[in-house]
Amino acid sequence: MASSSQSQAPSKYVTLISSDGFEFVVLREAACISGAIKRMLDPNSGFLESTTGRCQLAEIKYVLLHHTPKIFKYAHRRQYIYKMAEQGGIVLEKVAEYFYYNYRNRNREDVPDMEIPPELCLELLMAADFLDSEPRLV
Amino acid sequence: MTAQAICPDRLPRCTLPSVSLQNAAIPPNTSHNISANQIRQDANARRAAALAAQQAVDATNDATAPGTEPDDCPAPAPARARRSEGKAQSASKRKRDEERKKDEEKAIAKIKASKTFQRRRQQYDSDDEMSDEDEAARAIFEERMAPLPDQMENCEDCGNRFRVTPYSRRGDDGGLLCPKCSKELDKEEAKATKRRKTNAGRQRRQIQSNLLDGIYPGAKDLMTLCIETLAKNVDMAEDFGDLPPAMVERLSGILCKKREMRSDPLNLFLRPGTDTVTVYDGARLSSDDYIRIFQYCPTVKDLRLRDAVQFKNTVMDHLLSTKITLEKLNLHGANLIDDERWNRFFKEKGENLKTFKLHYTDGHFGDEQLALLPKTCPNLTRLKIVHNQKVTDEGLEHIAKISSLVHLTINIYGKTSSPPYVEIINGVGPPLRTLCIDKANIDDSVLEAIHENCQNIQKLRLTDNEFMTDRGFANLFTNWYNPPLTYIDFHKCRHIDSNDPRDNLDGIGFSSLGFEALMAHSGKTLKHVDINSCRHISLQTFERVFAVDKKYLDLTFMNISFCQAVNDFVVGCIFRSCPNIKQLVVFGNFGVRSVKIPKGKILTGIPTAMGMQTEGTEDGEGRIAG
Repeated sequence: MASSSQSQAPSKYVTLISSDGFEFVVLREAACISGAIKRMLDPNSGFLESTTGRCQLAEIKYVLLHHTPKIFKYAHRRQYIYKMAEQGGIVLEKVAEYFYYNYRNRNREDVPDMEIPPELCLELLMAADFLDSEPRLV
Repeated sequence: MTAQAICPDRLPRCTLPSVSLQNAAIPPNTSHNISANQIRQDANARRAAALAAQQAVDATNDATAPGTEPDDCPAPAPARARRSEGKAQSASKRKRDEERKKDEEKAIAKIKASKTFQRRRQQYDSDDEMSDEDEAARAIFEERMAPLPDQMENCEDCGNRFRVTPYSRRGDDGGLLCPKCSKELDKEEAKATKRRKTNAGRQRRQIQSNLLDGIYPGAKDLMTLCIETLAKNVDMAEDFGDLPPAMVERLSGILCKKREMRSDPLNLFLRPGTDTVTVYDGARLSSDDYIRIFQYCPTVKDLRLRDAVQFKNTVMDHLLSTKITLEKLNLHGANLIDDERWNRFFKEKGENLKTFKLHYTDGHFGDEQLALLPKTCPNLTRLKIVHNQKVTDEGLEHIAKISSLVHLTINIYGKTSSPPYVEIINGVGPPLRTLCIDKANIDDSVLEAIHENCQNIQKLRLTDNEFMTDRGFANLFTNWYNPPLTYIDFHKCRHIDSNDPRDNLDGIGFSSLGFEALMAHSGKTLKHVDINSCRHISLQTFERVFAVDKKYLDLTFMNISFCQAVNDFVVGCIFRSCPNIKQLVVFGNFGVRSVKIPKGKILTGIPTAMGMQTEGTEDGEGRIAG
């Protein structure tokens, strides 16, 4: 990835922070698949994130507690939330997992699809939209 | 229920110890003439007899010498150890086993020495399975020692007795299998081979499909993964929440591709307050479903329905009875709406209509309806009438009066001639940005009209034509006031004559002159070029157009299939001159054999078994296309 030629080489790892305070340390190169994170960390952008290497992702929660979409048929909303928390209904963790899955498979052919739990898929879709994980030909 | 229980007369022969006869065959529903008591007595008697016989067999088994097997054990295989020998492991038995082993070894040695065996060894020499001499000899030995047909044997797998036939199968340990077990084995084997075959085929096709989708090598992006998961589990969903419209549309596309757009999934897409409804395949929806679209989404402005066969008069009547004002209507395959309904639609709902696209209407929608458009649709900017069988030259002339038009696409099946098209271009030409005329028998006069009138064209498609000449195309692009184009499609504009297939003396079709003029006029901005089957473009032209000093930076897609002059060199030149090209299609170009494809490009249609190839030599991101 486009690493800068600054005097002080940036760390190989960056920290992603969810809105409820959970932190994930991931490989910079893997995280830069996301257009949004890449732009945040671009040394030429002058964003604070580019110097600290810490990305505050206010849009993405770690555990889903209030914003729960009405998507899946569960008898009670409360039960649904409980279930999500128990199963590890964790968006940013899944995003980080995807970064590594993508990084690992970047040059392989016939890559098996990553498992995405259906309950999580709508939240993850929103996160993907925000992070713009579309591949870009540079 | 075991075999013994069914045939009690064979019981004494069985060497299985302690067979339970508690569930001996007693029909649960006895008929009126037979007393239950008598049956019970019979069964008891049989049970007692069986028990006595069993004890007798056990006794003789223990007592008899190794050479003389009991008569009632017909299997002649002395070599095979019976696993049902029971608990009595006496010394005599061990001795017998040893002797049996000796016999076996002797027999195997004899087989090894035999001439037939040697011959067989030579034959199978290369075969891995037969490489071990001992094993091979043992296999032959066991084959010989197996029970002969029509004798009884215990199944190797389930232990049940069965009658040996010439077709009895051999199990893993060399014993024979009963019909039931061999059937199961057959089934398993068939399944395994079948699955392997289809899996391999599916995998190969999937790789090719990914290649064309631009996700090769590497993983799918997160959004695609999520949308696919959502599409798989759509029956679990209640509603989509506030999903962005672009994703809802992609989801609809995936569901339609899988032919799963029925009533239930459709409801998910009818979100109250939405202004766009897109169904890419409505073949499984009924008229009621289409009516429901208008009931659930009275705010709908943009309606796109493909394969909407059931969008018929009743649905149109319902639409006309509501206050819905459609701005964009794109209807595909709705061939059951009659002309009267179309007239009413334009009279009542035409005022707000900005886009009207109609595909495949068979016997409906003709000249009359086109005549209404200029009067009833003052805001119409986009008009597409394609695969229409009813419209004629007279109807087309009315299009010339729709002065608001910006995009126009016409594909009429009937015979049409140049004059109405010239009139259309004279009438609405200057503001036109898109002009597509497919399969019309138009000639150079139309090209001249375009040259004279059009000043804003970005997308130009004139296809499937045998009348326009190369000179006409060249004149169009020479000193044309129009700014450079971005999209060109001139496929199948070529000379066809089976008597004289090679020469093109009259210069018919899009050919060398036209191609050079086109690239000189629009080369800088062109993104999409389709000139497939324009087969008279010469090699020299290709070489000149894609020379070292020519660069076409915007070009991303090009189809030059069935252009006979194209060869490896031309393809190489194209890759050199178009650094941003993503896909180059070269079907039917037999001069293309072994060409070096730069990383990130897709070349489709090479005449090899693979048909498709990518190659990467540089380092960099592993993606083909973004």
